[in-house]
Amino acid sequence: MNWGAVFGAAAIIPLLNASIRLAVPTGLAAVGESLCQRAGVLNLSLEGMMLSGAYAAFLATHYSGEPWLGVAAGIGGGMFIGVLMALFSVTLKTEQVINGIALVLLASGLTSFLHVRLFGVTAPERFDPMQKLEIPLLGAIPGVGSVLFDQSPLVYLAVALIVVVSWTLHRTQFGLAVRAAGDRPGAADAAGISVDRVRSAAILTSGAMAGLGGAVLVVGQLGLFAQNVTAGRGWVAIALVIFGRWSPPRVAAGAFLFGFTDALQLRIQSASGGIESDIPFEFFQALPYLVTIVVVVVATARARDDAQPESLGVPYIKGARSS
Amino acid sequence: MTAPVKAMDPLDPPDTDRDAARLAAGWSARLSALGLSAAAVAAAFLLGGILLALAGANPFQAYADMVSGTFGSRFDVSLVLVETAPLLLIGLGLAVAFRARVWNIGAEGQLLMGALVGGAFAIYAPIGTRAVMIPAACVVGALAGGAWGWIVGFLRARWSVNEVISSLLLNYVALRILEYTIRKPLRDPVGFQPVSETLPDAARLPDIPGLRTHIGLLIGLGLIPVVAYIMRRTPFGFHTRMMGLNRDATEAAGVKTGRLITAVMVVSGAFAGLAGILQVMGPESRLTGNISPGFGFTAIIVALVARMRPVGVLLAAVLIGALTLGGDVIQRTQQVPRVLTIVIQALFVLLILVADKVGRRSR
Repeated sequence: MNWGAVFGAAAIIPLLNASIRLAVPTGLAAVGESLCQRAGVLNLSLEGMMLSGAYAAFLATHYSGEPWLGVAAGIGGGMFIGVLMALFSVTLKTEQVINGIALVLLASGLTSFLHVRLFGVTAPERFDPMQKLEIPLLGAIPGVGSVLFDQSPLVYLAVALIVVVSWTLHRTQFGLAVRAAGDRPGAADAAGISVDRVRSAAILTSGAMAGLGGAVLVVGQLGLFAQNVTAGRGWVAIALVIFGRWSPPRVAAGAFLFGFTDALQLRIQSASGGIESDIPFEFFQALPYLVTIVVVVVATARARDDAQPESLGVPYIKGARSS
Repeated sequence: MTAPVKAMDPLDPPDTDRDAARLAAGWSARLSALGLSAAAVAAAFLLGGILLALAGANPFQAYADMVSGTFGSRFDVSLVLVETAPLLLIGLGLAVAFRARVWNIGAEGQLLMGALVGGAFAIYAPIGTRAVMIPAACVVGALAGGAWGWIVGFLRARWSVNEVISSLLLNYVALRILEYTIRKPLRDPVGFQPVSETLPDAARLPDIPGLRTHIGLLIGLGLIPVVAYIMRRTPFGFHTRMMGLNRDATEAAGVKTGRLITAVMVVSGAFAGLAGILQVMGPESRLTGNISPGFGFTAIIVALVARMRPVGVLLAAVLIGALTLGGDVIQRTQQVPRVLTIVIQALFVLLILVADKVGRRSR
């Protein structure tokens, strides 16, 4: 096997560039999820939000030919599942795990149903993914420039959004309310914060970001939609929240690690000769999921402090006992 | 929740009276839960009907086709029961796990591991008699599924790794292992597709007399009272239910909850693994890449619709098995995509959650 094709000087820059590209959809969803979990809501519908966003983005781009309209539709598609998630988890106060899983199934069923209904068995024509946008001057920096500043505009948007969410969570009044709602909802309520409203806002933000992640996948990378195209990225994103100890910057770093593993496995697969290789390609396909499990185990096992929000997954009922 | 207590009868000993009242209360609660579930299921079909109409089909005709295509003949019923068998088995195991609030969503992977290891055993073990081979392969499959579930339980108990995440991600790993195995070591050399050799006759499940359904269904039926007994009458069942209500209190009462979580994961994994090997020895007859069209996920719905009660699992498994097959029917007769049935299943769960809230408020 030709390791130079994977790690050689000429290969390493495209590899890192691809890592960022592949990290973005999962990273967006993961950072949104960390906000949501900090507010106390274990949002397991994330995969459904991504999928719904991906499909809305695909439909809008397919029919309008305008990728930015697709991006907007993707955000809306994610928020659609977000509204349902908020309705159940916050308004009806049902078991979050159950309605989360059910919403993933709903999104999977609805998108597949629409897709088969609209396009039948013939796959619709692929559209061109959004062009890269090299940032002037910065993109000319050798090495770093080609890794960081020669990406799809969606990547810059995603990074900006991730920075904004981190800043909001740690430096604003709203961020304080989110953290209070997740740790001590009773105390937050006594301090005049509407726990329900904060949690709903967090779920909707998470839906918007996951929907955008799905849109990036479809509009920025693939140019097509297939049934369950997100392939578990939403679940990986939830794992990354645990890996990142509920801190958005660390969660984003985890997403980069996942993107790197994904880019690496694709390279190694093609460099090692696919089906004829001694190392089975199924191993590389399973690698991102295996790595995710391992990093979650390591992160959880090594953690000294318990970073998990204290009331994560517990519906807040005004006037009820505890917290 | 108050039960209607009848006036004290001087001839009846008071103890019996209280017992009868308690029994009546239990039954009335169970009946009202059943009524709420039935209402939620009906509402889901109503919403599904709207989707059918939007898709350009006549909903009444579509549902009529569904019923006649699934319960119209003995052959159709046999097919429904073939679909029911794995859902029943996996659903029983998941009902135990969910009762403990251990959210195992890795049944699909546990099923695949049971199918793979059990199937390999059935192909290579030099056993010529059915009476030995079938039980042995079942044990091997259940052990393999249990072992795959054990990983999740161990990670949860040892390092509090969230079981939803680990069990879900292991599904992808299991699928790749299966795909590799049938592409390379277990591949049928003369086959064009990556599939294993056909199982020997000794490892083929016979049909239930009078039906075209394999005897795996009977194993599932036989396990219903076993699970019900374990959950109601044994310390394991008691602790499991207690942990589902309040984990801290259970720990405080001296139960080693870590060990219990692991046990619950192994049990539900074993049920899924058993379902997997039965699919291989029954309808599939060999290992392929699509042994399961998502039974492990559908069974989550089955367990939830059944409210984690063993008898309820049977009813839900028949309902959802028939619905799945009905999806194939209306795809044929009404040109409606069969995935519509997935939407209806998701609506079952969501609407039952709503019905529970409504019911609790009105009580």
